[in-house]
Amino acid sequence: MNLVYADNNATTRVAPEVLEAMRPFLDESYFNPSSMYDAAAGPAAAVKAARASLARHLGGVRPDEILFTSCATESNNTAIFGVVKANPSRRHVITSSVEHPAVLNVCRELERQGLEVTYLPVDRQGRLDLADLVRALRRDTLLVTVMHANNETGVVFPIAELARIVKETDPSIVVHSDATQTVGKLPIDLVGELGHVDLLAFSGHKLHAPKGIGALFVRRGTPCRPLLLGGHQESGRRGGTENVAFMVGLATALELAAATHDVDEPHVTGLRNRLERELLARIPLVEINGAGAPRLGNTSNVSCHFVEGEGILYQLAAAGICASSGSACTSGSLEPSHVLRSMGVPFSAAHGSVRFSFSRYTTETEVERILAVLPEVIASLRRLSPYWDTTTNQPRPEAAGMLHGAAAAHPR
Amino acid sequence: MTWEYSEKTKQLFMDAVHGAPGTHMGEIADPDGFGEHGSIACGDALRFTFRCDRHPSDPLQDKIVEARYLTFGCTSAIAASEALCAIIEEGGFTPIQALTITNQDIVEYVGGLPEAKIHCSVMGAEALEAAVFNWAMKRGVDLTALGLDITRQEQEEGRLVCKCFGVTEPYLRRKIAELSLRSIPEITNAIKAGGACMACHHAPGGLQDILDEVWGRQPSGSVALPTVPEARAEAGPSLAELSWYQLAKQIERVIDEDIRPRLQADGGDLEIVDIKEMIVYCRLVGACASCAGAAGTMKLLVERLLKERVDERVRVIAI
Repeated sequence: MNLVYADNNATTRVAPEVLEAMRPFLDESYFNPSSMYDAAAGPAAAVKAARASLARHLGGVRPDEILFTSCATESNNTAIFGVVKANPSRRHVITSSVEHPAVLNVCRELERQGLEVTYLPVDRQGRLDLADLVRALRRDTLLVTVMHANNETGVVFPIAELARIVKETDPSIVVHSDATQTVGKLPIDLVGELGHVDLLAFSGHKLHAPKGIGALFVRRGTPCRPLLLGGHQESGRRGGTENVAFMVGLATALELAAATHDVDEPHVTGLRNRLERELLARIPLVEINGAGAPRLGNTSNVSCHFVEGEGILYQLAAAGICASSGSACTSGSLEPSHVLRSMGVPFSAAHGSVRFSFSRYTTETEVERILAVLPEVIASLRRLSPYWDTTTNQPRPEAAGMLHGAAAAHPR
Repeated sequence: MTWEYSEKTKQLFMDAVHGAPGTHMGEIADPDGFGEHGSIACGDALRFTFRCDRHPSDPLQDKIVEARYLTFGCTSAIAASEALCAIIEEGGFTPIQALTITNQDIVEYVGGLPEAKIHCSVMGAEALEAAVFNWAMKRGVDLTALGLDITRQEQEEGRLVCKCFGVTEPYLRRKIAELSLRSIPEITNAIKAGGACMACHHAPGGLQDILDEVWGRQPSGSVALPTVPEARAEAGPSLAELSWYQLAKQIERVIDEDIRPRLQADGGDLEIVDIKEMIVYCRLVGACASCAGAAGTMKLLVERLLKERVDERVRVIAI
């Protein structure tokens, strides 16, 4: 049985072209780029070229504005802690309530250190209201860090607008964006459209490079202290011997994404739209989370009311389908996804959410398999559910009220 | 993090969802015993019913002959529900005998459960207890006279300790003793309490305090960790200073009297989103919103007039 891989927002397969480009630097050209002998010139040139390539593909920024890191989490930590360390006089940070833990938990740590953090809410479709941003801005605001697109729902935030409003209000406020889900999927122009963004974090493994490589764009002049102190690498802003092969891999992956974007984008969006259209037609009481907002074309977050996501995933996995869920039982905590709760998705749906995320390698056949399996999986769990009436194929009357009420977070 | 279920758990779950012969999905109409535990907010819920072969004269000799469940929950919750029904039917128990079934029996039947899933077995035992209590009421059996203490009210009446999962102090105390729970993670795994916001872990009268009272204070047990603060919307700075207030009023007046009439004449309007000190955040609406000259209108009309008529330092930001 071939595996159906629909979890590309979690990680992606390394593109064969990427693997090929990396291979020499793991094999015969293994030298430390900092070494003096001739053999090291190859790896040194490869690092330089990779950096220049990334800079070019992010809108034509300067190569020295690109910092290589080990992952997006490191990039986000470097950006946020680095800005806080460089600006001890300002003590207020603004973020969103639906960030990835790599930002959310850093912000919570800042609160423990005595800073104040404002968490911008989102609406039922997962959208930010820029009026909330305006209200949150203060004289002592140091940093605004908001993700470019949400990993669970694919909802894209208006980062260009947000950054402009922040900078017009006070150019000293630093704007950071976690773009882990958008680099390689959306065109990123840090000179034009995103010209007000100071810092931008992403990683390789979401765009068909391997795990273990990330990058941080740091606009020249942005006050940001290093997190990893060590050698002179990355101009002293991130110590550690260059991970040459993986840097080459990341650059190659982004080049590939840019070259195939015009084909990939309609491909994944077409498959995603087909999946959603068919699921809505074949399964009663499903909803697409974030459908009313601008979204990444590859992501679909489907809520099936009155069933629990872990049981869905287990049966999908048994049928060879890889996806993920925002249910409590799969989150590692006992609460369902903070993103869906922030959106006010009712519990009856938050626990039964499944995320499918596609890539350029996803095929029509894979989508067919999902469509062939999922409706019966949902039906089988609803037969067991105390909230579902199988004869009418609707929620029991006493459960119907849960569809609208009892949203958002647990009572605190 | 992949599944760490036993083969037996997986089998019970797959049989249940496929409605294999001998499985126990369903609800008995007009049951002799009916019990529920959990809620949709908590992420799992079980409705358990059983039917008895009623003894003509002595209810204590009723025999449970059929048990059914409906469960909203994960793989292990459904497997545990199957296990509960199977144990009862295989045992040929009276309802009172059935009370001796513990969550541990369920864990063993499913071939063990991952620690974080122990609460699934506890849910089964709780629903069973509730169903037996329901049977006793229907059959006029006085459980207290039998030396059994099933007080279903305690969940409702005690002080709420874990607000996320609605767990009260008396219930916590009973479960800590019954299941020998020694630490906060053990409590969370068994009955979920403390598993979400974690505010009750080290709060006064919280989980650690209750553990200390039940087991005696453990010297290494209670380091006061900071709690995770709640996300909240910031109200923004106070504009209480009178001068800012007056300035904002003046800005509003100029916009209302000198600016909006001009825009309205073109079928548009201006909405003030906020005024913070010298910055006016606003958006063009109606015909003006889609006008190609929107940016120019903001700077040349709105900002210029405000600078002229209110204060040279006023700035306008479009949102």
